[in-house]
Amino acid sequence: MTWPAGGGPFAAGRAGTAGLPFAGIPSELQAGVDKLLATEPDHPEPTARFQHARPDPDGARLNLWRLVVRYWPMVLLAGVLVVVETLTLQAAPLLTQIAIDEGISHRQVFVLVGVALVYLISVLVTGLASGARTKVTGRIAAWVMNDLRVRVFTQLQRLSLDFFTEEKAGVIMTRMTSDVENLQQLLQDGLVQFAIQGLTMVVVTVILFAYDVQLALLTVALVVPVLTVLSLWFRSASSRGYTRVRDSIAAVLADLSESLQGVRVVTAHNRQRHNTSRHRAVTGAYFDANVYTGHINAVYGPSTQVVSLVGQLVLLAVGASMVAAGRLSVGELVAFLLYLGAFFQPIQQLVQLYNTYQQGQASVGKLRRLLATEPSVLEAPDAADLPPVHGLIRFAGVSFGYDPHHPVLHGIDLEIAAGETVAFVGPTGAGKSTIAKLVTRFYDPTEGTVLLDGHDLRAVSIESLRRQLGVVPQEPFLFSGTLRDNIRFARPEAGDDAVWEALRAVGLVDVVERMPAGLDTVVQERGQSLSSGERQLVALARAFLAHPRVLVLDEATSNLDLRSETKVEAALDALLESRTALLIAHRLSTAMKADRIVVVDVGRVVEVGTHTELVAAGGLYGQMYRTWTSQAGQSNADPPTPSAP
Amino acid sequence: MPVVLAHKWTFASALALALAGLVINVQVPNLLRGAIDNAIVTHRAQLATYLWWIGGLALATMVTGYLGRTLLFRTAYEIEYDLRNIIYQHLTRLSFPFYDRVQTGQLISRANSDIRSVQMYLAFAPFGLIQCAIGVVAFGYMLAINVPLAVVAMIPMPLVLLTARRTQRSLFPVSWLIQARLAEVATVVDENVNGVRVVKSFAAESRQLSALERAATRLRWAYVKDTDLRARWTPAVQNLPRAGLAIVLLLGGYLAINGQLGIGAIVAFSSYLMMMQAPFQMIGMLLMLGQRAAASAERLYEVLDEQPEIVDAPDAVPLAVSSGDVEFRSVRFGYADGEDVLTDFSLRLHGGETVALVGRTGSGKSTAARLLPRFYDVRGGSVHIDGDDVRSVTLESLRDAVGIVLDEPFLFSVSIRDNIAYGRPDADITDIERAARLAGAHEFVLHLPNGYDTVVGERGYTLSGGQRQRIAIARALLVNPPVLVLDDATSAIDVRTEQEIHAGLRTLLRNRTTLIIAHRLSTISLADRVVVLDEGRIVAEGTHGELLATSPLYTEILAKAEEPPQDGTPEGQRPVAGSSR
Repeated sequence: MTWPAGGGPFAAGRAGTAGLPFAGIPSELQAGVDKLLATEPDHPEPTARFQHARPDPDGARLNLWRLVVRYWPMVLLAGVLVVVETLTLQAAPLLTQIAIDEGISHRQVFVLVGVALVYLISVLVTGLASGARTKVTGRIAAWVMNDLRVRVFTQLQRLSLDFFTEEKAGVIMTRMTSDVENLQQLLQDGLVQFAIQGLTMVVVTVILFAYDVQLALLTVALVVPVLTVLSLWFRSASSRGYTRVRDSIAAVLADLSESLQGVRVVTAHNRQRHNTSRHRAVTGAYFDANVYTGHINAVYGPSTQVVSLVGQLVLLAVGASMVAAGRLSVGELVAFLLYLGAFFQPIQQLVQLYNTYQQGQASVGKLRRLLATEPSVLEAPDAADLPPVHGLIRFAGVSFGYDPHHPVLHGIDLEIAAGETVAFVGPTGAGKSTIAKLVTRFYDPTEGTVLLDGHDLRAVSIESLRRQLGVVPQEPFLFSGTLRDNIRFARPEAGDDAVWEALRAVGLVDVVERMPAGLDTVVQERGQSLSSGERQLVALARAFLAHPRVLVLDEATSNLDLRSETKVEAALDALLESRTALLIAHRLSTAMKADRIVVVDVGRVVEVGTHTELVAAGGLYGQMYRTWTSQAGQSNADPPTPSAP
Repeated sequence: MPVVLAHKWTFASALALALAGLVINVQVPNLLRGAIDNAIVTHRAQLATYLWWIGGLALATMVTGYLGRTLLFRTAYEIEYDLRNIIYQHLTRLSFPFYDRVQTGQLISRANSDIRSVQMYLAFAPFGLIQCAIGVVAFGYMLAINVPLAVVAMIPMPLVLLTARRTQRSLFPVSWLIQARLAEVATVVDENVNGVRVVKSFAAESRQLSALERAATRLRWAYVKDTDLRARWTPAVQNLPRAGLAIVLLLGGYLAINGQLGIGAIVAFSSYLMMMQAPFQMIGMLLMLGQRAAASAERLYEVLDEQPEIVDAPDAVPLAVSSGDVEFRSVRFGYADGEDVLTDFSLRLHGGETVALVGRTGSGKSTAARLLPRFYDVRGGSVHIDGDDVRSVTLESLRDAVGIVLDEPFLFSVSIRDNIAYGRPDADITDIERAARLAGAHEFVLHLPNGYDTVVGERGYTLSGGQRQRIAIARALLVNPPVLVLDDATSAIDVRTEQEIHAGLRTLLRNRTTLIIAHRLSTISLADRVVVLDEGRIVAEGTHGELLATSPLYTEILAKAEEPPQDGTPEGQRPVAGSSR
């Protein structure tokens, strides 16, 4: 598990831990949660359909507006509610002025009653509008986020294997978690607050001018430039500061998690003290970054207060003389003072919101790049479904490199007959696994073609191809869920009979029968509750149930115990029968069982033949075999007898 | 918490300053009232006096506000800094048994999110308290201006408090639900990304998409539920305080008509009411954060209360290795509360001797190896180096003397150079290269894009398994310990390379006591003597040839372990050497 960081100081930990701190709901909240869950309806079945050939419609142009515009009636409604809310929110100073000038000055109690009533109504309307607005924007946010999650995940399904090997798993996780979640706050409340606060400033300015142009000009001329400069400074300084905080907390987390994961090495090498002082340095940088942002906030907050006080001061000074000259009523002066306060409130909020907005924009940028990424293995627009094949595989002049400048395979020509088992052997990095990855079309050759029953793999649809293939990786990967679901991963519609048949074929029946929950046994995270041998057998059963025509096996090197190993070998025999099989052999004993052995070295096929032929030929294979038998001979143990090809 | 106490003076002065700043703020509406009532409506006083006062206050606000906040932030962050380091230091001191018991992921999240929530509370609580203090001061001013009006204007406030608390209560469960469902989505993605080869090879993309959509829909429902609850409560909390203003306008206006109250007082009252809005809304938030911080602090205490099990004896002396004699005397050992893994295990390695420990999976080979550097303490019997019980010497000197290469080679995401020099950070490059050469790593390291300065990815996963093992061996060799333990250290290395390494090891092992745990004959052949372990005790020992003749178990184990894998490249991971990233 990786611990990525990103998406702000608060989101940083959460994304990676994948809900760990919330793994269980605390008991005192369980009742509340249960009550909530009782109101949950059944959700409709998923509707999204996946096709390799259908790219994201406009991922390259993803922006916030395009995301919400689908829900334009709701957006429009939210807009109307925002206007109502903003206007009614500014009723107080105006009503105060009326109360003073009409009510108190003219000694009219009924005016006061009227003003109080109107004010109460305005408060009520504000409350209702803001409640309705919350419902609307919350829904927009929930739906947009849902769309986005499905879209980004669909894109991940389309992308080819090279994307997943080149990008750290943690980074990919971050796209689907914290980057998407960053937009939640923005869509739910952030954007609408932007609108409200922005609109408030406009409304207040208009009101100020409506009261008195001269006074308004004076205050605006005095206050706005200072505030603008101050806010611009704050904006850039704080975004710099938050970047620092984000980066340094990520470093703190990375250091912490690595130290804990490698704690045994740390202990073995007496590095505790050294590491503690290094951690001190990393947290020190985080502390500095925090102090820096704290400092910026400490300057900005009081500064705006001072500007506001100075504004009031000037207003009082000038206003008093205007009242004395009879150009302004006392009520108007009071309203002016109150509106000035209302003018300042949004600014602080807007600046805070700007940080949320920037984070959101950064996330949108990353998601846009992800959605615009072209899969390197593309389905041809006119790709036909591959008809059921016999399993004849042909490599015609195939060259390939993960990086075009460093070819890994050079001009491979090879034919594998239907039903034949071919083992690939060779030293590390020779290209054995790469050859297998071309058959499953995880990659496309840079030159030449790979053909299955005469069909160029690039001409057929990816799904129809892979449905006829089975792959058993070196490290068996199990999904959390039941054993049953893991085994019928390739064919979820398969009945229990078929599952048991697969279990029988790999010799897992007795193990599963011994489990109290049987097929319903929940496999723990990454299959840790099964032994490594059993996991390997589950992976084999999974491949067996898929009934593939062509099987690709990457032999496990993990040290299985004796019993599991015998079982795995027996299961392999069952699996290989009447199928075309490519075996990436890490042990010569496995390779010897194959019909033919292909020796790969430095990206070329150097020898092909049966075990006996190759040993007789005395090439690279013969050499490898001799090294091995000489070691075995040292032990006086019988060298394993090659099974007759 | 002692951590907080350590900062009590800065904390107190920060609080005092911030409080002073806010009291000054409370003064402003009162001045405005005076200015309007005494200098504008009537002319009992000079307007200039008030203006000077306001100017002065502005200056004071600036100073106290800046200092108070700076100090407050600083203290909160200092506490977080201390907490993080204390926890980190404590965690690195904890022993192997602790790490066997807990999940690393949970620990990391504790150390992170719990510190964070304590820090958030510490940063927020002072502000909350100050706000409440303002509320009190403001109410005092209101009372001073007009008692009945002040009392009546406060009527909606208790309602605000009640609503705010009700809001927290109803929103809390739904926010947990959201977190749980975010985790559901994350799990689908995590498995999809990590199991991408299985997903792709079985063409399961559409089903994965359906699983994701199902999880996302459930999450969406939780978010909508959250929205609806918010929509019900938040507007009430925000707008109730404003209802007080209606009372001020009505009653205050009436009193003003009767001449019992100035117009300025109405202005001051409405300002004060606005000031009181925040504290009443905040109390609920404060309580919630406080609860969370208390729960987090408790979890942190749990970690801090965890005592390292393996510690220096009070009279521990540094270990001085002379001949390097190693002896296990009737050792009995088992993990945690589990059954005994070793029962009456006795083995003596003479100084400079190389002994191979052979046995089936689970026979206790690795366990025996881990007792030597005292990663665990024995249940019975004892382990000695040069006659000293390992429990009687200092851990640091013991672990300096015993080098161990673990079966799962863990690399740190630093440069190859720093990884090899992990046990001796001051080593120079010639020593590092020599160790790398002996471990058969020099050649492939030179082929990496930046040679020894190449930074390996997370856990070193950009290297193949065999490459990682070679770096781990170099790391142990660089320390040059008199006692060396190789726990299946070459299992993922191909035949040719292993032979090269063995050539190097043979010269190195000559005057070094070495315990080798191995499955493969090639590795075993390095040893002077072979010891066969089964079910926690030694069942046979002798030279390789003797054992073949006498021990059927030995022959069986060897027959299964016949041959090394040709490479250790994990599936789907290509060696860095061939690519240019």
